[in-house]
Amino acid sequence: MSEHDSGSSGASNTVPVQAGALKKGSHVVIKGFPCKIIDYSTSKTGKHGHAKANIVGIDIFTGKKYEDISPSSHNMMSPVVTRKDFQLIDIDEEGYVTIMDDKNETRSDLRLDFENDDIHKKAKEDFEEGKDLLLTVLSALDTEKVIAVKELQ
Amino acid sequence: MRGLGLPSTEPVVQPQHYLRRPSALRSLNSPARYSSENKEGKTCDSPVQKKRIAKMPSQNQIEEMLLSRTSPVAARMRAIFGLKGLDNSAAISALEKSLKNDSSALVRHEVAYVLGQKKAISALPTLYATLEDKGEDVMVRHEAAEAMGAIGDSTAVPILEKYAKGDDIPLEIRETCVLALEKIRWIASGGAGGPTGGYNSLDPAPPESSESDIEELKNTLCDGKRDMFKRYRAMFTLRNIGGEKATLALCEGMERERGSALFRHEVAYVLGQLQREEAVPTLIKFLKDDKEADMVRHEAAEALGAIGSKEAEAELELFKKDKADVVRESVEVALDISEYVTSGELHYAETIDATKASNA
Repeated sequence: MSEHDSGSSGASNTVPVQAGALKKGSHVVIKGFPCKIIDYSTSKTGKHGHAKANIVGIDIFTGKKYEDISPSSHNMMSPVVTRKDFQLIDIDEEGYVTIMDDKNETRSDLRLDFENDDIHKKAKEDFEEGKDLLLTVLSALDTEKVIAVKELQ
Repeated sequence: MRGLGLPSTEPVVQPQHYLRRPSALRSLNSPARYSSENKEGKTCDSPVQKKRIAKMPSQNQIEEMLLSRTSPVAARMRAIFGLKGLDNSAAISALEKSLKNDSSALVRHEVAYVLGQKKAISALPTLYATLEDKGEDVMVRHEAAEAMGAIGDSTAVPILEKYAKGDDIPLEIRETCVLALEKIRWIASGGAGGPTGGYNSLDPAPPESSESDIEELKNTLCDGKRDMFKRYRAMFTLRNIGGEKATLALCEGMERERGSALFRHEVAYVLGQLQREEAVPTLIKFLKDDKEADMVRHEAAEALGAIGSKEAEAELELFKKDKADVVRESVEVALDISEYVTSGELHYAETIDATKASNA
């Protein structure tokens, strides 16, 4: 079983899309990772004219590069990618944040990485200065990450 | 579906990030996909990729590959399609040279096909000569006529009319000329002649735009009294519809056709484009039938290669020593196509390294 396999919500977090219909900037799952396509090319075909697509993507969470080759007629999975803003309420000593959405629902299951992520580090510094902050959370394939911090005016 | 109207996201370049805390909330048992022990991630800077690029030949090398008498047939085929992708007169000259000189009818016929696919107007005189050459293989002459239709230029009309009738002219050639004339008329009347249905080929007849009922299309396809152009249009419509039902309709059309080997060969080609395993038993039946015309057996073999299933491959292996040159060579090419289809290899055609010097 692959590491990204999730029994719970797998059905709704991707939609099938033909490899031939993808293009630069589209999202696609490559080797299990949600990627944004940075390079897309099609093959030189033979007599039947079936093309393969060469797809290079960058993991939207880690920035790691992945590559795949697929017949244009085959379906690949496109991750459902969402962004949502939350108001920051608290950051605990382990880095977990308590955040609230526009329906006043709170959650505290996301963790910041102060060591390696400059945005997360900035969030902590701004929060400690007493600023009211809005965090943007990116989610795809059962993974979520804080990707932007804005100061509430 | 694509993009789903969501805002695009900038890639965030960071060594790691954080998942939901597994125990914090209900239904949040996300797998630790991005944990440190995750070794996944073959990037595109892999040595394989680099080697693939390093291996690319220059245009001159592709031309040599095609024109050398010692290249295996399968390599010559890949060279032909390599030249198909190159938009210059040297590529066309090399193809013309091959059409005149290659010892293999299979190679010559493929070259004629590609000159048509390239819409190489400058090659029309060579194609005329091929069609008129009574000593040439019928399959090659047929392909030269079909290429004239693909090019779609009306200057080819007189010669096509000349070979469209007459008892001394082989049936396959007459039928091809009639189709090519229809195709040229179709284009002249403003019809689209380009690739359709996501298949990268210029076809001898356009799909129907108004009919999408598989049963109805099958009736047209199988009706030997209808004109051939109409039946071909049904054929390409079924191809574009795709799926199991349309595939089986095409198989039925192929099996029921008695009179025209040309028709059966075209269905086999389309089945190769469809790459559906449902067509394998029909294609095997035609490949096995040694009373069947070579052009049909050849096309059945290459379609089996394009489908690339284990069953198809196993069957092809049995015909590697077939008595008919065209069939034997097609099997060699088909096994090469099959290897390509089932591999992670990107290009079938030989692809040049644009950084290398090309024309001398």
